[in-house]
Amino acid sequence: MAQLPGRKALRAAEPRFRFDLMPYLFILPAVVIYVVFNLGPVLASFIFSFFRWDLLTPTTEFIGFHYYDFILNDRWFWNALGHNFIFLGLAVVIPVSIGLLLAVFIYEIRRGRVFFRAALFLPAIFSGVVIAYVWKWIYHSFAGVLNAVLELVGLGALTQMWLGNGDIALYSTFVAYTWASFGYSMVIFLAGLQDIPTDMFDAARVDGANFWQKLFRITIPYLYDVFTFVITLRIFTAMGVFGVIYILTGGGPYYASDVIDIYVFRMIGNFEMGWATAAATVNTIIVVFISTSFIRLRERFSWSS
Amino acid sequence: MEFISRNLQRQIRSLPFYSVLVAATIITLVPIIWVFASALKSNKEIRAAPLALPGEWRFQNYVDAWFGASFDQYFFNSIFITVTSVAIVLILSSLAAYSFAKMRFRGNQLIFFVFLIGMAFPLSAKLGPLLSLMYELNLANSRFGLILVYVAGSLPFAILMLRAFFQGFPQELEDSALLDGCSRFQFYVRILLPLSKPSLMALGIFVFMGTWNEFFQALLLINEDSKRTLPLGLTAFQDEYFTNFALSFAGINITAVPVIIVYIMFQRNLIEGITVGSLK
Repeated sequence: MAQLPGRKALRAAEPRFRFDLMPYLFILPAVVIYVVFNLGPVLASFIFSFFRWDLLTPTTEFIGFHYYDFILNDRWFWNALGHNFIFLGLAVVIPVSIGLLLAVFIYEIRRGRVFFRAALFLPAIFSGVVIAYVWKWIYHSFAGVLNAVLELVGLGALTQMWLGNGDIALYSTFVAYTWASFGYSMVIFLAGLQDIPTDMFDAARVDGANFWQKLFRITIPYLYDVFTFVITLRIFTAMGVFGVIYILTGGGPYYASDVIDIYVFRMIGNFEMGWATAAATVNTIIVVFISTSFIRLRERFSWSS
Repeated sequence: MEFISRNLQRQIRSLPFYSVLVAATIITLVPIIWVFASALKSNKEIRAAPLALPGEWRFQNYVDAWFGASFDQYFFNSIFITVTSVAIVLILSSLAAYSFAKMRFRGNQLIFFVFLIGMAFPLSAKLGPLLSLMYELNLANSRFGLILVYVAGSLPFAILMLRAFFQGFPQELEDSALLDGCSRFQFYVRILLPLSKPSLMALGIFVFMGTWNEFFQALLLINEDSKRTLPLGLTAFQDEYFTNFALSFAGINITAVPVIIVYIMFQRNLIEGITVGSLK
C-alpha cells in the first residue's frame, strides 16, 4: 500500500507513459478529411465491387465476382488496358530520356541555366485541358500547324488525320503527353545532378573522358535513385492518363485510343457502378503491383545502399 | 592570355549544348507561340494560311471569347476553389506533419503510412463511390464539395513533404521554447510556421498548380455551368466554338495566361516544390 503513491509519482515524472492527446488532435482534421474523401472511397470501391449496385447506391446483396466476370470478359476492357501498357512502355523511355539529356545539357552550360530550365518546363504547368486543345489545333486537318509544316517542307504525302486515323490516334495523344511531361523528368534530374560531387566530373575531364563516357559512367549510375523516382512517376501518370486523351479523341476513333480511366469514367456515366468499381479495382491492383515490384527490383540491385 | 584562351575553349566546348538547348526550346515553345499568334488572326486568315503571322492584331477575338461563355464565373470559381483548398491543405498538413515529425505517440508510423498509401492509388480507384458519397452528403455539384475532394487528394504529398522538412528542424529550438512555457500549439504558430515559410511557399505553389489545373474530378462532380472551374469551362466553351477558329484559340489563351503569370512569378518555388518533395 505504501508503495502506491510512490509509483504514481514515478509515472507522473516519466512523461513517456502518460497518455498524450495533443499529437492526435494535431492529426485529427487531416485524418478525417483524408479518410472520408480519399481513402474511404478507394476501400469502398474495392468492397462494393462484390455487391450489387442500384444505380448510384450500393446494396447489401453480395454477388461475388459477378462484375469481375463481366469486366474480365469484356474485350473493350482489355483493349483500354492494352493502350495504357503501350503508353507506359513509351512513357518510361521517351519523356525520361528527353528530360535526362536536356538536364545534362543545362548542367553543362554556364550562362542561361535558369532561362532554359524555365522555358523547357513551361508546357508542364498547364492543365491537361489546355494541353489537349493546343494539340487539337496542331493536329487540325487543314488549319493545323503540323500538316501545314509538312506541306511547306515538301512532305505533303505525310499529312494525316492525326486524331481521326485509328492506327495512329493513340500515338498522337502520346506526343501531346510527352510535350507536357518531359519537363518534370528534366527538373528532377537537374536537381539530382547538382548532388553529384563535382570532383567526379573534374577527374573524368582530366582523364580525357568524353561527353558520352561521363554520361554513362558517372551521371547515370549516380542518378540511380532519381531514375527510380522519375520512372515511378511516369508509371503512375501513364496508367492514369485521362484529360489529354479524353479531349483529343474521347478514346476514339472506335476505341482506338481508349484507356482505363476513360473506360471507368464511361461506366460511371452509364450508371454501371458495379462494372466501374470492378474495373477500377483491377486497374488499381495492376498499378500497385507494377510500381511496387519496380521499386523493389530497383532497391535490390541498387549499388548505393 | 592563357585565361582568355581557356575561356574561349570553354565557350566553344559548350556550343553544341547551347545549339541543342536553343533548338529544343524553340520546338517546345512554338506550339504556344503559334496558339497566341492565331488568336489574333481572323478565321479567314487561319483557314488560308495557318503558319502566317496575323495581318492585323484582332484583340476583339479575346473580347468575343470572354463574352462567349461565362469566363468571369469560371475565373471566380477557380480562384475561390483553388485558394481555399491551398489554405486548408497548408494548415491541415502542417499541423499533422508537426505531429508526425516531432511528437511521440502510439500509431505514429502506422497512421503516417496510411497517408502514404494514398499516393499509390490511381485516381479512378475512388471515383465511383466518391460520386455516390457526394450525392449522399449533398456535396455533388458544389464548390465546397470539390474543395474537400481536392484537399483530401493533396494531403498525402503535403504531409510527406512537410514532415521531411520538420524532421530537419533543430530539436533544441522546440525544447527551449517548451521549457519557457510555450505550449506546443503556440510553438507551432509562433515559431515553426514562420520559420518554414520557404517550404510552405513551395508546397503552396505546387498544390495551387495541381488544383487549378485539375479536370477529371471536376468533370465528374460538377454539372452546372455556374459552378464550373476554368478547365471545365474551357471544354464547354470549345464544344460550342471549336468551329469558330479564332475564338477557340483565344479561349485557350484566356485559360493559359493566368497560369503563365503565376509561373513567371513563382517559377523557383514551384520547381523547388517538385524537386524537394521528390528527392527526400
